[in-house]
Amino acid sequence: MTQPLHKRESLWFAAVAFLLVILLPLADAFGIIDHFTLNTWGKYLCYAILAISVDLLWGYTGLLSLGQALFFSLGGYMFGMYLLLMIGKMGQYKSDLPDFMVFLGHTQLPSFWKPFYYFPFAALMVVLLPGLLSSVFGYLAFRSRIKGVYFSILTQALTYGAALMFFRNDMTMGGNNGFTDFRFVLGYDVRSPGTKRGLFIATAVLLLGVYALCRWLTKTKFGLIQRAVRDSENRVLFSGYAAANYKLFVFVLSGVIAALGGALYVPQVGIINPSEMTTEKSLEAVVWVAVGGRGTLVGPVIGAISVNALKSYATRAFPDLWPLLMGTMFILIVLFMPKGIVGLPTQLHHYWNHWRHHRKPSPEEEEATAELTTKPTSAE
Amino acid sequence: MRGATAPDAAQASIRATIDQALTSTDSAEQTKLIRSLSVTGGPYAAQILALWREGNIFLYKAPDGKKIPVTLVETKDAQGLQAAIKVIDGTPLTGPDGKPISLKFSLLESAETDASLRKAIKDVNDMAALADPDVKLRIRAVQSVANEQNPAKLPALEARLTLEQDPLVKRTIHESIALITLKTGEMKQRIAACVELGNLGSIPSQDALKATVTSATKEGQADLAKAADTALSQIASHVTFVNTIGTMFRGLSLGSILLVVAIGLAITFGLMGVINMAHGELLVVGAYTTYVVQCIFGPGLAISPFGFSFSIPGFHATGAAYDAYFILALPFSFIMAALVGVALERCVIRFLYSRPLESLLATWGVSLLLQQLFRLTFGSNNVQVDSPSWLSGNWTVNDILFGWNRVFVIVFAVLIIVLTWLVLNKTPLGLLIRAVMQKRDMAACMGVRTERVNMLTFGFGSGLAGLAGAFLSQVGNVGPSLGQSYIVDSFMTVVVGGVGNIIGTVISALGIGIVDQSLQQILGNPVLGKILVLGAIILFLQWKPQGLFVTKSRSLES
Repeated sequence: MTQPLHKRESLWFAAVAFLLVILLPLADAFGIIDHFTLNTWGKYLCYAILAISVDLLWGYTGLLSLGQALFFSLGGYMFGMYLLLMIGKMGQYKSDLPDFMVFLGHTQLPSFWKPFYYFPFAALMVVLLPGLLSSVFGYLAFRSRIKGVYFSILTQALTYGAALMFFRNDMTMGGNNGFTDFRFVLGYDVRSPGTKRGLFIATAVLLLGVYALCRWLTKTKFGLIQRAVRDSENRVLFSGYAAANYKLFVFVLSGVIAALGGALYVPQVGIINPSEMTTEKSLEAVVWVAVGGRGTLVGPVIGAISVNALKSYATRAFPDLWPLLMGTMFILIVLFMPKGIVGLPTQLHHYWNHWRHHRKPSPEEEEATAELTTKPTSAE
Repeated sequence: MRGATAPDAAQASIRATIDQALTSTDSAEQTKLIRSLSVTGGPYAAQILALWREGNIFLYKAPDGKKIPVTLVETKDAQGLQAAIKVIDGTPLTGPDGKPISLKFSLLESAETDASLRKAIKDVNDMAALADPDVKLRIRAVQSVANEQNPAKLPALEARLTLEQDPLVKRTIHESIALITLKTGEMKQRIAACVELGNLGSIPSQDALKATVTSATKEGQADLAKAADTALSQIASHVTFVNTIGTMFRGLSLGSILLVVAIGLAITFGLMGVINMAHGELLVVGAYTTYVVQCIFGPGLAISPFGFSFSIPGFHATGAAYDAYFILALPFSFIMAALVGVALERCVIRFLYSRPLESLLATWGVSLLLQQLFRLTFGSNNVQVDSPSWLSGNWTVNDILFGWNRVFVIVFAVLIIVLTWLVLNKTPLGLLIRAVMQKRDMAACMGVRTERVNMLTFGFGSGLAGLAGAFLSQVGNVGPSLGQSYIVDSFMTVVVGGVGNIIGTVISALGIGIVDQSLQQILGNPVLGKILVLGAIILFLQWKPQGLFVTKSRSLES
């Protein structure tokens, strides 16, 4: 965060941008990496966007939201509605209506579906609906000063309720099966390598943009207050800041970021259904952040990509053991690596120094040990 | 044969009447005699008459020319002869020398029946069913008479009414009589029947009453139509009443389920402040323990976790002994879940007391781990846990159905609450728990080993979750992800009740249960009801952010 690092960071940023936006798509176009790999990485980048949104809330503001998967899939659903209408008569039933509606015996497109024929409207809704939902929910929650674990539990309930709603067939949102079999996006065939490349580039640009935005935001005075809210909300309140407004803004912003990630995720994966909006998915995103290192912006990206790469390897190599591995990894990281992968070098450095000099533990370490053995706060 | 038991006076007179009918040659007299049995005869007469109708009563010509009605025993001797028994008194048929006579089946003439006689016999049988000792069969017989709509059977029903003791059967008889007269009686009687049905609040007669309204309006019988209409609205209000009580009851039992599931959480989360996302998996530990105990009582169990297969032999118990497994499963579930809870506390949670958000994440990791362990041990499909026979069946009062398992749910919840209250308030451990949770530092200064109390408290909360699991195995499926379906609900229950307050949890569980069931009843859709309940909870927390019962404190951060 100090100034001298800034230049180095910009260089890194430019290098990664070059790699993601130019190098990888080129490699794909010339057949150096196969289309499947690029597509998989596009998916990881969407997850990285989701992870940044989680970290903006959890790492920077101290709000552990278990509802980020809801915003992610809401964005996905909004865009999915557009994609589904673009199938036109090429569906299984050769009807203008989406397949599931024909299957459920609808004869007419519900009126709220109609505007989704227009891409700009769908794109607007990707931002608007999650933004609206997060503002209403955030306003209610922060106004009555619900914080800490209560906030987590409430967002969990919100997600659960929404998933129940989307599972219902009479929502006319595809019920259990959700949306799938997409054909066209903006007139291009979703399945062609070229479109996929385009989507990858869009995702990369979005990720870089989100990163830059969050980087800027967390550096401003706003970011300072954000972290102050995380560390001691009462002091922020006593200093005369309306902590609730800051929290609401961050909550809505991260909801929208997650939704944008979700909107780009759906055409690349080709399916969206209510099982994407469960609490477990939100918690998985939290795992990525914890693994990568919370309270940093690089951490979530590293975490999302590494955990998912490991997951796609492990679910193929030893599917039965993957949940065990993930559970154990998660427990160990929470217990022993509070700063995640990003904080690992510093942590190791400390241990190394300690081992080499046989000296008394550094004050930081003392603090860490004290934290580990602190008793529960009293129930009063 | 059947007559071999010592007949008492009533049975003797029945036998005498039947014997008389059998020996009579006049068909009209026969019918009259048989019909005389229709009220008094009962199942005993029905048994003998059934033999007659089936052609199994024979007329033996005695040497003096008299015809003696007899039945034959089933066993044949070497010559194919069967011993004969007299219908009149159930004693063996004897010759003049006093020796029992055996007869050849094929040489005998069976007592004949004609159409009117057979009908009389059938009536006696029907009426006998009305006197069946089993209440359920008796009610069914009464209802079948009502369905026949035969006014000829009214006297029998009325006769039965004077004898009947059971109030439920009495009610059904009243209902049936009214139904028959409604269809077949005269105008005055029909109106009276309407009034009767209305007063009884008879739900099954709604169709008949509606038909009456239609036909009466068509034929201009205004009085009858009005009476039937009144009866219908009376019944409708009775139905509303029944539904309301039924909904309340279901709400109470759903609330009890929530309560049982959440009470462990009220201790670990409410008192200790630990967010245990693996709470659901502790439920599952209890449920699977019940399953294992059941298998040990029954056919045994073979499991193969991680490729090691081993089997536990079973006792192959049946009947009541098998049903008793559940009693034994309860303490085992408690102990198993408590052990898992203690291990969890020692290995993970004790490092995270000051970081509640992180305890949420770590315990979620534990929950993933446990779920997969269940899957690998017991398979990913649901396992079959049988309910003891004393938990099936139901109890109907005034058309309201009380299922035994729902009643059990409520009783069980009450027991658990009492147990928790006793432990917290009447045991030395409870004293320590309360002391540590109220003022940890002070308790430590007084020499309380707070680390140990933490462990025991968490173990107790987990054990309660295990009990809840044993209990859930009786009301639903047992599978690896059973716990996931309860985790949101139980956290909600504790938060709404007010953290740190057991009474709050009780009230919020019952409240949520009743509201949920009422919304289901009103909306006719369980999922929509559930979504509304979640929304209502979020709004409720606007009004009371700390839940129903606030633990007063001067601390800023709590």
